[in-house]
Amino acid sequence: MSTDLSGRLAADRQHERRRAARALLLRPLLRPTGRDADTFVLVRRHADWLRRWFDLNTGWRLRVEPELARLEKVAVDGDDATRPLLDAQRRPYSRRRYVLLCLALAVLSRSEAQTTLGALADEVLLQFSDPALVAAGIEFRLDHVEERRDLVAVVRTLLDLGALSRVSGDEDAYLRSVGDVLYDVDRHVLASLLTTPRGPSTVTAATAAARIDALTAVPPPLSEDARARAVRHRLTRRLLDDPVLLLTDLDADELAYFTSQRRALTDRVEELTGLVAEVRAEGVAMVDPADELTDLRMPEDGTDGHVALLVAEFLTAHAPAAVSVDDLRREVHRLAGRHRTDWRKGSDEPGQEITLVATALDRLTALRLVLVDRGSVTALPPLHRYALRTPTPLEGS
Amino acid sequence: MGESARPFAHLGAENAATYRAVLRMFADARDRYVLPLRPEDVVEDLAVVGSPVAVDVVENALTSLVGWGNLRADPDTGRVTTVEDFHRSRLLYQLTPEGQAAERAVRLYEETVGRRGALQAVALEDVAEHLRSLVVLLAATGPPDAARTQHLLTALTQRLETLADNAAAFMSSMQRSIDLQDADADAFVAYKDRLIDYLERFLSDLTTTGAEISGLVLRAEDLGVHAAVQAVAEREAADLAPGDDDETREREREQVRHGWEQRWRGMHTWFVGSRENPSQKDVLRRRGRSAIPQLLRAVNVLNERRSGRSDRSADFRRLAVWFAEAPEDATRHRLWHTAFGLSASRHLSIDGDSLTAQAAGAPRIVPWAEAEPLRISPQFRRTGHHERRGRPARVQDRSAQRRHLAELAAREQERLQVAQTELVGGGPRRVRDLPQLSSTAFSVFLGLLGHAIAARRPDALQAPCEATSADGSLRVRLTPLPGADVVPLRTEDGVLHLPDALVEIIGTDPGVRAP
Repeated sequence: MSTDLSGRLAADRQHERRRAARALLLRPLLRPTGRDADTFVLVRRHADWLRRWFDLNTGWRLRVEPELARLEKVAVDGDDATRPLLDAQRRPYSRRRYVLLCLALAVLSRSEAQTTLGALADEVLLQFSDPALVAAGIEFRLDHVEERRDLVAVVRTLLDLGALSRVSGDEDAYLRSVGDVLYDVDRHVLASLLTTPRGPSTVTAATAAARIDALTAVPPPLSEDARARAVRHRLTRRLLDDPVLLLTDLDADELAYFTSQRRALTDRVEELTGLVAEVRAEGVAMVDPADELTDLRMPEDGTDGHVALLVAEFLTAHAPAAVSVDDLRREVHRLAGRHRTDWRKGSDEPGQEITLVATALDRLTALRLVLVDRGSVTALPPLHRYALRTPTPLEGS
Repeated sequence: MGESARPFAHLGAENAATYRAVLRMFADARDRYVLPLRPEDVVEDLAVVGSPVAVDVVENALTSLVGWGNLRADPDTGRVTTVEDFHRSRLLYQLTPEGQAAERAVRLYEETVGRRGALQAVALEDVAEHLRSLVVLLAATGPPDAARTQHLLTALTQRLETLADNAAAFMSSMQRSIDLQDADADAFVAYKDRLIDYLERFLSDLTTTGAEISGLVLRAEDLGVHAAVQAVAEREAADLAPGDDDETREREREQVRHGWEQRWRGMHTWFVGSRENPSQKDVLRRRGRSAIPQLLRAVNVLNERRSGRSDRSADFRRLAVWFAEAPEDATRHRLWHTAFGLSASRHLSIDGDSLTAQAAGAPRIVPWAEAEPLRISPQFRRTGHHERRGRPARVQDRSAQRRHLAELAAREQERLQVAQTELVGGGPRRVRDLPQLSSTAFSVFLGLLGHAIAARRPDALQAPCEATSADGSLRVRLTPLPGADVVPLRTEDGVLHLPDALVEIIGTDPGVRAP
């Protein structure tokens, strides 16, 4: 009876910790109100344990305060272009929006506890007079509805992050120039957005690549222990954050550590998240039986999900040979004719296949399933998960 | 700053005014991009701005300022036109970096505190002084001398006006320094100690003198200051040019009277607050108090920036430039992911069937191409949809039912509360003395009774027994009375006959109180 009970309690505790950890991995900044309210309670309850886990295994700092919980994810390397900031319509941010977002944050960092959209717009407008921005050839004058739309998209991102919360009014009225919106400014959120070891304003590098490197640079480990720890942190970060870890992506140190410690590493990630290690000769994928710990799904219902799956089939059928993007477009155009009733209207019109293929390849690249290089596409090993099965005669179909 | 540089020393020195004038000269000259100055240039410039100083005084001042590190002296190799000039030690002076920083700091200080928006403790003292005289005047026997009263009140209100204006200006300039701009950072750090000292001094004056003033204001009112104000207004109205008719005169008199009353009321609200409306004096004190930690925070930000930690606003501005300068979208996305670390983890998924199939698969590690692929339904492969297409099932809106349930629960809770108050308290009572019970109270009572009886020890059926209700909110103590009659217990639902006993019901939670 008592062992039953303690077993149950342990299982409950593990279940709660997993939910908390998954919530943090999916949304590294959680707030106590709104959609994160339930998981926030769990994160607070298990804050000490989670903090220790992340510190020991990843070196990521977990800050849990009454106002927010922040898992300070530090990227493994600055080379991942597949995780853009998406707007409310899930479109990647443009150059102007990124710039607007940063300027809005700069303004808000110095603003009072409340502000309005109009006041924010005026302040941001002033910031555009920065000579460096002028020299970079970016302009913002707020005289186009397109510019206002960009600003509103940025504000909606800030609302989503919790840096702002709406007190009254709505952004659409602002877009139509018939009203303003009042916001509360959350300093806690503003203070916890950047996670780089170094503040960007202290970096003087001149090229984009050097700047990104400088942001992620960590001091070289001083002892053998520290070196091993740094390697473990890098590997666990990959296992937690990336869909696939291919042995060919690892350097010599990482490969040696991974080969000897693979089981320990994946078990620990499994314990934290409930992800299951799919161990293959070429590497490991931590896969999710619950299909929720991800921002991109495969397979996914709908036109784009279907195209991605059919492209994957086509590529695996030709593997190991690479396929040219042109061949893929021809294939997708052919498929569009066949799936006229299944896919979005107009998918079979000439020219549509270009967008369809681009979207599918973006998804497959982001999931680390293909490599696209100068117009030719190579299947990476895990793409074979999506190959057509040849049904064995024993199975009923 | 250099080790030996003491660029603020001149402020405490004798002839500080001269030093200030000289340094202002240098700073102005620097603004005009005139870097080195000769002593005679300084003398000339000082004469131009209307504060002539003798050459030897200027020379001494320059030497001292070089000693404190505000100025640097270099040999002047320019051509001369007289013999004595040639024999004089000829030097060119210019501001050192330390001197410049100090100059900026002093200017900032003067702007915030010195000229505009100074909080004059002196003004406070003046107000108190005038009020004391006024109280003396009012306390004297006989009607107060209207001319003196008028003079005092006029002086008083003028002082108060400057004080109020200064306070407002000070608060706004204080806010500006707290939102300091990068350019003034060094200056700010240099002058913050002085500013904070000054603030603290003023605040303690405000506390002591302010308290005295509010006492004096109340005392003056007790002594009939309102009548005195009326008299002053009359007197002033009489001085006005006589109007065309009585009515106009009356109106003007009324205006003057109203003006004076307003002024006195202003005095009252400035120094004497109420619970709803704190006095201006208290507001000022609070603002001043909170300004100190804010200033210190601002200083911390600056110090952090110096120690390599960066200022957040500057970080964001720098990132904006990086995003603008990045060559293509992919680089921008990399920068976003790296700098903000807000991206979601990304994982492939697996369904239960595939998981089972894989678990049953070969124990050795195989390449992906040889492992079982995912089991994706043929339906999905054909159409891109897992479900047969058609009208999607409408999501049921159950909010109405939920509301209904919530109401039910709330009502139930309320009924329980009422029932508990019927039962609780009054010490031990006999069953036959219980009042008629509502049906909810009765069911609670029955439940308690059941718990209590169940709690009896089989070897002591007649002993008192205690039990707690299932929700822990009530405790019952039941003492059987041996040989007691069967008594009726009346309830809304009917009558229950049971052996009489002593019953005591206690609420364990503070929300349940005896009626």
